[in-house]
Amino acid sequence: MTWKRDFKRNGVLYLIFLIPLSYYVIFKYVPMVGLLMAFQNYRVSRGLWGSQWVGFDNFVELFTGEQFLTAVRNTCAMALLNLTIGFIAPILLGLLVCQLRSKRFSRLVQTVTYMPYFVSAVVCCSLAQEFLRDTGAITQFLSLFGFAKQNWLANNSPTFWFINTFLGIWQGAGYSAIIYIAGIHGINQELYEAAQMDGANRWNQLLHITITGITPIIIMMFTLQIGLVFVTGFDKVLLMYMPSTYEHSDVLLTYTYRMGFGSSNSFGLSTASGLLQSVIGTALLLIGNMLSKKATKQSMF
Amino acid sequence: MDKVMKANKKIEKGVVGTYKFTEKTAVGAYKSIESQFRGQSPEGQLADILMYGVLIIVMLVALIPMWHTLMASLSEGQQLIAHDGIAWLWVTPDGKPHFEGYEKTFSYGDFAILKSYVITLLYVVGNVVFGLIINVIGAYVIYRQPKLAGLLMMIVVFTLLFSGGMIPTYMVIKDLGMTGTPWSLIIPGCSNAMFMILVLNGFKQVPVSTVESSELDGAGHFTVMFKILLPQAKGLTIVTMINTAILAWNSWFEASIYVPQNRELWPIQLWIKQIVGDNASTLTTAVVDWNRYLVAYCVILIATLPVLAAMPFVQKQLQKGALLGAVKE
Repeated sequence: MTWKRDFKRNGVLYLIFLIPLSYYVIFKYVPMVGLLMAFQNYRVSRGLWGSQWVGFDNFVELFTGEQFLTAVRNTCAMALLNLTIGFIAPILLGLLVCQLRSKRFSRLVQTVTYMPYFVSAVVCCSLAQEFLRDTGAITQFLSLFGFAKQNWLANNSPTFWFINTFLGIWQGAGYSAIIYIAGIHGINQELYEAAQMDGANRWNQLLHITITGITPIIIMMFTLQIGLVFVTGFDKVLLMYMPSTYEHSDVLLTYTYRMGFGSSNSFGLSTASGLLQSVIGTALLLIGNMLSKKATKQSMF
Repeated sequence: MDKVMKANKKIEKGVVGTYKFTEKTAVGAYKSIESQFRGQSPEGQLADILMYGVLIIVMLVALIPMWHTLMASLSEGQQLIAHDGIAWLWVTPDGKPHFEGYEKTFSYGDFAILKSYVITLLYVVGNVVFGLIINVIGAYVIYRQPKLAGLLMMIVVFTLLFSGGMIPTYMVIKDLGMTGTPWSLIIPGCSNAMFMILVLNGFKQVPVSTVESSELDGAGHFTVMFKILLPQAKGLTIVTMINTAILAWNSWFEASIYVPQNRELWPIQLWIKQIVGDNASTLTTAVVDWNRYLVAYCVILIATLPVLAAMPFVQKQLQKGALLGAVKE
């Protein structure tokens, strides 16, 4: 088909696409142009085209400042925890649920664990604050094991990383488990019967049939997670951290936020930090996507 | 796509899915749990007991925070503060539930919570409607495969890969004059590439022959879009609508940067953040308004219950979406 015929025939299509296109251009692509602020000493009064260009000064300032490097370390630590403990939790939940012979109980567990997915981040963190303060339920429970009664969120230590990961599990494990449960139900039942004939016990069946059966799904989910690991759970950190715990709670996104909207209003610095993060995020997405394509022949793009 | 279809069938059959309460539930549950243990070796039975134990604890961990909030909201302020740990039942001097917390919440800050509830609903509806328009039109154009479809798809998908980030996006919205107006919380977040692709996937499942035959009958683009494709791709379109609605209902961050000074525009979640934050300082003032302390619990419940109540209706749809969103070939 020639271009002329295409426009004649599909002109209406192109015309109505202007609606979604303008949305994407204005809210997604124009901000990308705004990333140029990362190379400027940006002043709101002068705008993007009037501000002074400073080359890589903002990036130099980032890498020589202690705060940024702390944020990088904390981001990596939390990402690692989310990719390990946070990733395994829904798999374990899915495996446990599928071991149940009682369909009713299985559905009850699924519904109840799925529920926190609907609870907002604000509520989730408010509950965390309530349960972790010095008279909170979790603090009380932990004091039985000899831990000091304290506000755990004010505790400036790697504890914060674990609290963040646990909150992520509380909110998302039931939701993430669905895909594994569906995968386990998709495994050919004859495999189990054959294994029973060969005298395999439940543990061996679980190991060699169930887990082997969902390995492709596990690999796929893992590679997808790699791409998203730097963005998930940011607003929870923003809701729970406090100046006295920045050393262990500040992450890249909160640092970016504070530089931009905090008292310093260093838009250039904030944008530089955001740009670095976008670039790393894109790289991770592409890597994860490639790995997924290689391992399971399935991918996002 | 095959795996998705299989998984969807499982959901429809009810293997994966919602728990329905019936009058036979208790007896049935006992019987079916008992069947788990029948004919098992002692080790197997031990494993089962452990398994049930772990899952019951997991369920308690999922439920207790909300239960505690419910009971705290029905308590009496001064006693609740003195009470340590979980409120298993309302904490009141007379052993009856108190509703002062809710009364206080209702009139709080010149009915701010009530007004915020209404405006949050407005944001939800706005996001869903505008998101639907953008997603459906975008998906339809790409579905019809004009010559530039590949390019259009790339423009959409690239936004999943790379973004301008917080400050540049804020600047754009500010320059558009949207900050300080409800529009900043309706338009910018209403659509994303993932949702558009989800609608597109829905369209792709509709047999091509139905579209072709209706075109032979003289149906135009809008007839095909609204009368043929959308009704048949209802499931996935609804998934994007539900997700947009939940995102809008639970959002607070955008409001905190776009309308920080305009309290009358604050969505309910931002009020929760504010009120919970205030609670820490409430206790240090000279004359403590104990009921003021309860508002945090009440407003959490008021904001969360509608979503939880809607859950049984949306759960099946969302699970399908979760599978389709994750498994795409």
